[in-house]
Amino acid sequence: MTRPLAAFALFASLLSPLAASADNLPQRWVSAGGSLSEWVVELGGEGKLVGVDTTSQHPASLQKLPSIGYQRQLAAEGILALRPEVLLGTEEMGPPPVLAQLAAAGVKVEALPADADLQVLHGNLKRIGVLLGDEARAESVFAAYQARLKEQADWVARAQAETRAPTVLLLLGHAGSSPMAGGKDTAAAWLIERAGGRNLTTHDGYKALSTEALLALDPEVVIFADRRLGGDEARQALLKQNPALASTRAGKEGRLVAIDPTLLVGGLGPRIPAGLAELSAAFYPGRTPLEPATP
Amino acid sequence: MKAVISPRSLFIALGLLLALALWLSLALGPVGLPLGDTLRAALRLAGLPLAADGLQQAELILGQIRMPRTLLGLAVGAVLALCGVAMQGLFRNPLADPGLIGVSGGAALGAAVAIVGGAALGGLPELFAPYLLSLCAFLGGLVVTALVYRLGRRNGQTSVTTMLLAGIALNALAFACIGLFTYLADDATLRTLTFWNLGSLNGASYARLWPLLLVTLGVALWLPRRAQALNALLLGESEARHLGVAVERLKRELVFCTALGVGAAVAAAGMIGFIGLVVPHLVRLLVGPDHRVLLPASALAGASLLLLADLFARLILSPAELPIGIVTALIGAPFFLYLLLRGRT
Repeated sequence: MTRPLAAFALFASLLSPLAASADNLPQRWVSAGGSLSEWVVELGGEGKLVGVDTTSQHPASLQKLPSIGYQRQLAAEGILALRPEVLLGTEEMGPPPVLAQLAAAGVKVEALPADADLQVLHGNLKRIGVLLGDEARAESVFAAYQARLKEQADWVARAQAETRAPTVLLLLGHAGSSPMAGGKDTAAAWLIERAGGRNLTTHDGYKALSTEALLALDPEVVIFADRRLGGDEARQALLKQNPALASTRAGKEGRLVAIDPTLLVGGLGPRIPAGLAELSAAFYPGRTPLEPATP
Repeated sequence: MKAVISPRSLFIALGLLLALALWLSLALGPVGLPLGDTLRAALRLAGLPLAADGLQQAELILGQIRMPRTLLGLAVGAVLALCGVAMQGLFRNPLADPGLIGVSGGAALGAAVAIVGGAALGGLPELFAPYLLSLCAFLGGLVVTALVYRLGRRNGQTSVTTMLLAGIALNALAFACIGLFTYLADDATLRTLTFWNLGSLNGASYARLWPLLLVTLGVALWLPRRAQALNALLLGESEARHLGVAVERLKRELVFCTALGVGAAVAAAGMIGFIGLVVPHLVRLLVGPDHRVLLPASALAGASLLLLADLFARLILSPAELPIGIVTALIGAPFFLYLLLRGRT
């Protein structure tokens, strides 16, 4: 199936006026990193993706591509079967012997850092831009993203000048078992802080929280990320499994906010600003929320 | 137990099966190579001066990916099956498994220490990390087995029953410690640990292959020399002693071979269950309990079965792949149940 497609792509690229500059650009991409895949799509490279890993769930159209499995357990021959020119992923990608085998087979292995940091993101976007042959677009997308986060930070600063920051817990649920709370070094804490809340946990990583600890912390807002259920259904399930939650301030005032759990993995993705604005609106219900970004 | 087929026909059948498994393992994979290319690339890799035109990809896939993977499967399958025979001989119980004396639990603990500890130390140099994991797994298996063996010894005698119980206790202890590391691990580390526990022949390279090949060769040459002694041990310990077998030495050798062999296999490919249990049992059903036949036949059958399981693991979900431990357990567990229930009627 892929051979005629590739032949067609080659033919089309020869016809296009950009052929001269596009000649050396990789045309077949495999992406092994959720937010990197999102950025490739954002920068107009979706048509070049021929395979993605299991963390690449957004946009939904990526789920139709062949799955190369989990980013740390890549299989050399499986990926080679997709005949990629580039393997894009985070530094977590592995195992190292497989990456070496892929590089030996002529695949350009691009392992980019995944830290939640604007400088890192800028570097990553530039790199993807170069590989896509559209650096200008990468720069403008980054500038817009940066401006958007700045707007968010200003909004939070104004809100906090007038109102006390609400105390927040982020619970990661696997419907049916006791929820895990995001600790102080996690993406959860990062999101809460940027959205203007105060994370209540003192532990590292995601740890199961006992009922008593939950009552003692008494959060004003609870963010929950459930992989299976969404919206009201999940809210009901969460209260049902954790009756104690209902007697916290968040439970009494109904301040339970759902977010997409995929926002918590893979560093700064394109959906972060919108997610932050949503959280901020829930943290400071009296204020006019930030307008959604206009792409 | 009566033999179903003669040893000679069994060896011919198993030889053919292994040849078939080896060929399939080299010829099939997610990348569809034309048969002619595979053949020519294989001949070129074997040193024949054929023209190289258009063979770069085939040669790379065959030489750098499928060949090390096939050799790894061959060695792991053979050594796990051989150690299975050694354990079933030592415990005089056809349901014994190399895990009994704590090798697997210890190796898993060593791996957990390496994975979680390595991540906590801020990550080791990229090149060194995989070796640390293998080394820790190997040493973990060796240390726990040595402990089980020590606990089984009293007054210069090794009590197999005490060893069995000590093995159960130490396995429980090892898994409790692994649980502790699991609790301490972050999400990414946790997934690495989970996948390691399911085993995989993925990413095999020559550099990491040769220690296992040496150990496998050693075990495969040594154990058959003790086949007669193992046969005598089947009659019982005192009977074997009366027949002139140095029983204590034999036990020590069997434990040592198993710790070394399973430790090296687990270090190279992660935890792969049921080969050590099911293969010797299967072979015994076919040719009877004579260790002179049982040992080499199990090695052949173990290697063939593991190669075929790996073939399944790498083709079924392509371009991703299934951890091989899942495949062997999916085949092994129902077979084990069949053996249990069959004995009842």
